[in-house]
Amino acid sequence: MSTTATVSRGSHAGRIWVIARHAFTQLVRMKVFYFLAVFAVIAIGSNFFELPQHEGVESAGVNVLRSIKSWSLGTMTLFSVVLSIVATALLLPKDVEDRTLYTILAKPVPRIDYLAGKLLGVLMLVLVSLALMDVLMTAVLHIRTGIVIEQQVAFARMQEWPQATIDSMRLEIAAQGATWSLQGAVWAVFLRASIIASLALLISTFSTSTLFTTIISFLLYFIGHFQADARNVYLQAGEAGQGMFARIASLVISLVLPDFQNFNIIDDVIQGQTIPLLILGKLTLVGLYYAVFFTIASWFIFAEKEF
Amino acid sequence: MKPWQKNAILAVAVLAFGAARMPFEAGLAKELRAAHLTAPDLQIGTGERIGQTSTAVALGGLRTLVATFLNLKAFSYFQELRWDELAETFDTIVDLAPRTPYYWDAGSSHLAYDAASYYLSQSTLPPLRRKEAWRASIRQGRAFLERGIRNNPQDWTLLTKLGNILSDSNKFSAYADQDKVFLDAADAYRRAAATGEAPPFVKRAELWPLARVRGKEKEALELAHRFYAEKSNRVPTLKCLVFVLEAHENPGMDLRKRAVEIFGSEQEAYDQLSNHWMRIREKFPVYGVAATLELLGKSLGIPPEKSVLSQPMPPPADMDRFFSR
Repeated sequence: MSTTATVSRGSHAGRIWVIARHAFTQLVRMKVFYFLAVFAVIAIGSNFFELPQHEGVESAGVNVLRSIKSWSLGTMTLFSVVLSIVATALLLPKDVEDRTLYTILAKPVPRIDYLAGKLLGVLMLVLVSLALMDVLMTAVLHIRTGIVIEQQVAFARMQEWPQATIDSMRLEIAAQGATWSLQGAVWAVFLRASIIASLALLISTFSTSTLFTTIISFLLYFIGHFQADARNVYLQAGEAGQGMFARIASLVISLVLPDFQNFNIIDDVIQGQTIPLLILGKLTLVGLYYAVFFTIASWFIFAEKEF
Repeated sequence: MKPWQKNAILAVAVLAFGAARMPFEAGLAKELRAAHLTAPDLQIGTGERIGQTSTAVALGGLRTLVATFLNLKAFSYFQELRWDELAETFDTIVDLAPRTPYYWDAGSSHLAYDAASYYLSQSTLPPLRRKEAWRASIRQGRAFLERGIRNNPQDWTLLTKLGNILSDSNKFSAYADQDKVFLDAADAYRRAAATGEAPPFVKRAELWPLARVRGKEKEALELAHRFYAEKSNRVPTLKCLVFVLEAHENPGMDLRKRAVEIFGSEQEAYDQLSNHWMRIREKFPVYGVAATLELLGKSLGIPPEKSVLSQPMPPPADMDRFFSR
């Protein structure tokens, strides 16, 4: 009721929300959540990747915690990127195919609302998927960390270690378990997925097929990881004596493509590094900046597109 | 608006947007690198070693995952005793995940322990080649671990592993200058303790190799007294070292009296010093031990033929006998 009233008042937010919910439902109906079963198998299975260890009894079991994080965050990254690109690439062509797009555009719905709603729907799907995977990973990690701590404390007590050392060891193991930084890493995975989804949205506005959008998006995703190198080549070109062509090429790459390398913090969080909140805030700002710019750019192309 | 005008506007907007964010992104990248939140760049050649698919995956933000897969691959090389491939794979693994101490530890252990033991027992090879391969594996394992320490200077576990390799009685004879090796081992344990995170046994471990360095007895005794002052540190090895180092410092001391003071009773002193006497492979100093055992043996009524001094000694830590078979 309230949504209808909001839409009738012409609120952008209300319209975007309705379209987002529709896009989300549309994607859920495609049974994308089945992959959670695969993730569950990976998260639980990573518990058993225990090779004969080269570690002493004083640090036994800690490596399996890293293994759980590594497998889980790796799978999350993979799923979120694939889901963002494929789901976004499918949306516009599917709406054209179903003729839903004509119905929507025939109404007084600004095209920017339509695009923003669709993108938000995909992001909701990615966020819900990541949240579910995160809950599963955190649960598995929490249980395993408890087991490792229990074993190590028993060993330390047997060795008559001082309480201060036992406490420090407990903290050290806990830092390898489910921490806030790990949640920050999942957020970084989501931010990267958001950027690639908005980039895929931009491509899909002028692309002629879903396949083209998907391939180009994946390509840009991988090239985006070189962006920092291109930027460095440009910034240090004078010192390195690069030619004019190399300098211009590196400048164009670094200006056009997003720098995905900055979101690669998950590797170090897996090793127990802590993410300062300020850095997470800056990454969020960068993610938001890209998402907004690419959505506006998509609208610029989509605004006068004939169907 | 004509299509070319539209495209031109979009191109300018993209470039302007890029120009606006570039300084911020460059600063953020620096900040992330400084906070150890993003890994160093991949080494030239890593891409070739891990193959195109894995390079794509690694560049796609999954370096740790690729390293995990490669670790599984390295394990199969270990099972198949393919040491060269194993070393190469670990080089790639640590390039992908340089801040994972486990990979540095596992790689160096495979080389310094597993590969070295393999060459030690390879009877099909001529002795000289076996010895050289054994020595090379230990050195390769040490070098790998030292690279790991340079990448993770604050990790006490890697420093402890280095100390362990250098003071291992099956490893130190791979080096001509054993005093230097023991000094390096002591230094590794000291640095591990200095991280402030190492457990007590690591802190004590600095003394074990230092006591074996000729000419460093005074320094070792000071350290031994420092540890001995804390009751929780009084493990048998420490008590023995306090005793022998004091005997070195003061050759005229009353050996029996001091042994009873340190060990609590004559019987305990006899048992502990007997064990110490038999640890010949570890090259611990034994100043005054024989004389004390003789005194205590008499006092405890142990017949000379049953004395530990009459028992055959285990072979010393000289690996040459393995290669002369």
